[in-house]
Amino acid sequence: MAFKKKEATADLTDSSAVMKARNLQQTAARQRIAHICGKTMTYTFLLLMALIVIFPFYFMIISSLKTTEEYRRSVPTLFPMEFKFANYLNVFTDKDFQFWTLFRNTVFVGVVSTLLSLVITVFSAFAFARLEFKGKNALFAALLGTMMIPGELFTITNYQTVNDFGWMKSYTVLIVPFLVSVFYIYLLKQNFMQIPNELYLAAKVDGTSDLKYLWKVMIPLALPSLISITILKMMGAWNSYMWPRLVANDDAHKLITNGLRGAAFVDELGNTDYPRQMAAVTVVSLPLFLVFIFLRKYIMKGVSRSGIKG
Amino acid sequence: MVDTRKQWKAWLYLSPAIVLLLIFTVWPIFNTIRLSLMEGYNSTMAANPYVDYEFPFGLGNFTRVLEYPNFLTCLKNTVLLCVITVPISTLLALLIAVGLHSIKFLQKPLQTIFFMPYVTNSIAIGMVFAAMFNMVIGGSTRPDSVGIVNNILEALGFDYINWTNAGSSYGANLAVMVVYIVWNALPFKILVLLGGLQGINKQYYEAARVDGTKKSRVLWRITVPLLSPMLAYVIITGFIGGFKEYSSIVGIFGDTMGPAGNPYRMDTMVGFIYRAIGKQEGTASAAALILFGIIFVVTMINLAVSKKKTHY
Amino acid sequence: MTKRIVALLLIAVMTIGMLTACGGSGKKGAAGDVVTAEGGFDINKPVTITFYHQMGAELQKILATAIEDFNKFYPNITVKAETMGDYDGILNQIQTEINVGNQPNLAYCYADHVATYNLGGAVQPLDSLIANTEVITRADGSTEVLGLTQEQIDDFIPAFYNDGRVYGDGKMYTLPVVRSTEALYYNKTFFEKHGLTVPTTWDEMETVCRQIRELEPTCIPLGYDSEANWFITMCEQSGSPYTSTEGDKFLFDNDVNKAFVKRFQGWYKDKLVTTQELSGGYTSALFTGESDTGTRCYMCIGSTGGATYQQPNQTNGVFEFEVGMAPIPQVDPANPKVISQGPSICVFRKNDSHETVAAWLFAKFLATDVVFQASVSMNNGYASVLKSAQENPVYKDFLATAGTEGIQAYAVQVTLEQQDSFYNSPAFFGSSVAREQVGLLVQKCLAVETNDVDAAIATAFENAVKECKYQVGM
Repeated sequence: MAFKKKEATADLTDSSAVMKARNLQQTAARQRIAHICGKTMTYTFLLLMALIVIFPFYFMIISSLKTTEEYRRSVPTLFPMEFKFANYLNVFTDKDFQFWTLFRNTVFVGVVSTLLSLVITVFSAFAFARLEFKGKNALFAALLGTMMIPGELFTITNYQTVNDFGWMKSYTVLIVPFLVSVFYIYLLKQNFMQIPNELYLAAKVDGTSDLKYLWKVMIPLALPSLISITILKMMGAWNSYMWPRLVANDDAHKLITNGLRGAAFVDELGNTDYPRQMAAVTVVSLPLFLVFIFLRKYIMKGVSRSGIKG
Repeated sequence: MVDTRKQWKAWLYLSPAIVLLLIFTVWPIFNTIRLSLMEGYNSTMAANPYVDYEFPFGLGNFTRVLEYPNFLTCLKNTVLLCVITVPISTLLALLIAVGLHSIKFLQKPLQTIFFMPYVTNSIAIGMVFAAMFNMVIGGSTRPDSVGIVNNILEALGFDYINWTNAGSSYGANLAVMVVYIVWNALPFKILVLLGGLQGINKQYYEAARVDGTKKSRVLWRITVPLLSPMLAYVIITGFIGGFKEYSSIVGIFGDTMGPAGNPYRMDTMVGFIYRAIGKQEGTASAAALILFGIIFVVTMINLAVSKKKTHY
Repeated sequence: MTKRIVALLLIAVMTIGMLTACGGSGKKGAAGDVVTAEGGFDINKPVTITFYHQMGAELQKILATAIEDFNKFYPNITVKAETMGDYDGILNQIQTEINVGNQPNLAYCYADHVATYNLGGAVQPLDSLIANTEVITRADGSTEVLGLTQEQIDDFIPAFYNDGRVYGDGKMYTLPVVRSTEALYYNKTFFEKHGLTVPTTWDEMETVCRQIRELEPTCIPLGYDSEANWFITMCEQSGSPYTSTEGDKFLFDNDVNKAFVKRFQGWYKDKLVTTQELSGGYTSALFTGESDTGTRCYMCIGSTGGATYQQPNQTNGVFEFEVGMAPIPQVDPANPKVISQGPSICVFRKNDSHETVAAWLFAKFLATDVVFQASVSMNNGYASVLKSAQENPVYKDFLATAGTEGIQAYAVQVTLEQQDSFYNSPAFFGSSVAREQVGLLVQKCLAVETNDVDAAIATAFENAVKECKYQVGM
């Protein structure tokens, strides 16, 4: 892919056959050169961007291996002078951090809320993308509208609601309030709409039920988006902080980020021990990373494309 | 075409989403509107079981927002950050996604790398920016280092730039924010666009190749139009999110949302709202509705444009 | 479509408007005092009380021991201690919980927080509890008075005890736990080598700073960590207004205050002083030389609670220099004023007075238990608020280690030496805003770059007051 090349293409105005043949030859050579140039530029660009994008991750890893003293140096070192693997050991052994409890809670909340969220999102997106009903556009616009008000303002009302429901300090309160995301419904709707309507109508003629069609055709075709949603939703459980702390800060339900920001990494003067914290962050991020590696092939897999318009 | 059975089915499919949204989103929004009309509303005062505070009904909260001395600063920063970062991040994400899609060698490792920011905790990203731009973050002490970016500038023969510390310029502050926000926004957009690229039929490219069409032409004439639903999505949600920029600024500048000696220089609408929570919820609600109005208009324009340009 | 949505929105707004207008009032009884049940406090009735704090891992262990000790007296009072990470975490959590009446039974607090909780009428005034003379027989057979005896009240260092009464209504809302103040840390080795005198007034401070600048032209002689503390303390020392619980509340825009800020602006311009925000980090790093880029401070005014950060690096077990500690400079040495900082503990109102009394008993235990206080103090360098703690042999031994090595003991010692100089700032809805704003004000004014410094300072003061008033809706 060469989106920056400026090479001229063949000059087609010439009428002479000989010239044409020569031109074609030249063009082929030029195209080859252009192709190589294009590839080089593509790789240069991708590698440069990759370098920029990966830097925080790299920094996280090296910081997790530094000693606290080295971390505090005014000019940060780009490679640890001395590896402190004890930071990692500490993650599992530190009684104040309670890694396994936090991890178990987070995985449970993450998996359950991701699955439920996917189901809700798929059905909603399907309704918007494939079914006709009165007020569809207005409803969709209203949904978009809900994204436009800063959610920080919802906290107090939602706190009152879950308190009235008696959900305090439970898994329910961590999972249910944020199951629906208009952001994801919209994404999936866009994806579903890329799938030509003819397929659906044909299925209707064949007497295929909606559910079967959804399962057999729509979901496989929209898999990349579904995986994006899965990853984002899981990340949400991994990164959520304010709400869980507010409504379920007890040991039985505490999530990992609350543990990461909690007392285990703060000394008696309120200063954070960053290398130890980074080691914990890295350990915590690892499962997500593995999940991604596992799911990646589905994102890029060329799903059967037969009959799919553009 | 629209038969009642189908109608009924559509609402059935939508019901879980609608019920949850009614409880946890629409109800709070109604509350927001209610509070915005109660002048001087403060939730803690309202909860006082012993004193009956009066919050008269009226539009006072809205005028109060407009009277805020720094209101225009908030508005300017909000609009500026949004208008700069959304196009940059969308364009970069598009080029990266198309690039990744077109290569074979190193494709998998590169994909993995572009996914990394997802699994990089926000605490770590804050640290990196501290190291890059010579910022200071809570508890650590690195007052005089120049930062990695300045080291690079020096190597290229440029002068140091004071990016975020006392005495830094607005332009430098803005540049750091743009880099930070684009950086944060990239991985999601790349993923969405990569997913969208899978939906494009390879025949189009083959046809283009046979015709000997220029690659850049293929990009703008074939890829972009066919990717337009996803691009529209990325841009519209990008604008909605961009107008709500707040936590990224706190991530760089701390709660004062500006460099030392120049607090609140990078303040935004949501920054203002956030500060009013716990003190003046009535004002916060009014500001949120004003922001809603702005985003609403922009989104309607976006939708109108995308309807014309999007090909499903 | 747009039209339809706009119409819907309008209808929604109108409905809500009507709801709001009709929203009736029908509160509310007056806040009552705590009355214990007839027959006194029943120590056998089980009760669970929740305590919010921000203690780190080590302090949590000390707290756990204290709870164990408390349970020897009151086995049926279960104390659930929950950490909220930091003080802001405690504040946000409780402020939200007050909305539904879910607040804990007691919490670590600063005065500004209590002022916020008071808006919701959630904090239990302690006066009636303190005055309660009921005698409780505890589980181990010993007895205690439910309130505070005169002896117990007298054992508190008075300034710290009076931190509970800064709310403008004459009522007592908190008990102190431990306290820190600001101190002047100086490089003793450097001072002795050059025959410098440790400054006791701001005039002397300027002289010493200029001397040091001549000796070391690249240094910044003084680092002052907290801009806000600097401003507030200067107000107190100069006797000029800062804030008040009454009337206009934000009184700090006056000529005396502008004058000292202008003076310090000159110092900053001459590179005699820097602050935490302006230098971009705790100035202790400049003081200890941990910042390896050449700029040094030879004096640092910072919290006694952060003493370990003022400790220089060691090479082969020898400190790079000796640290001296002294009270901060004064405007009038005959009438010294220093800030008092550190957690207090407040009790929240609950419908069940048994819970309230149980929470009070635990609060009182933490505030009056010498072992707990001394352990916390030895852990973090804050000073115990009890005079009797200084008689405790373990604590005495600890205090005797004061020096560069035992810098926390040194800090506690300096804090205790100044026990008659502490002042309290009024706390009210907006006092935290004032504190934030004066801190930003100092930053702004010191960093002024225009030629018309006076005008810039005047504008900054005016804007700071405006912002304060705006944020509290005045």
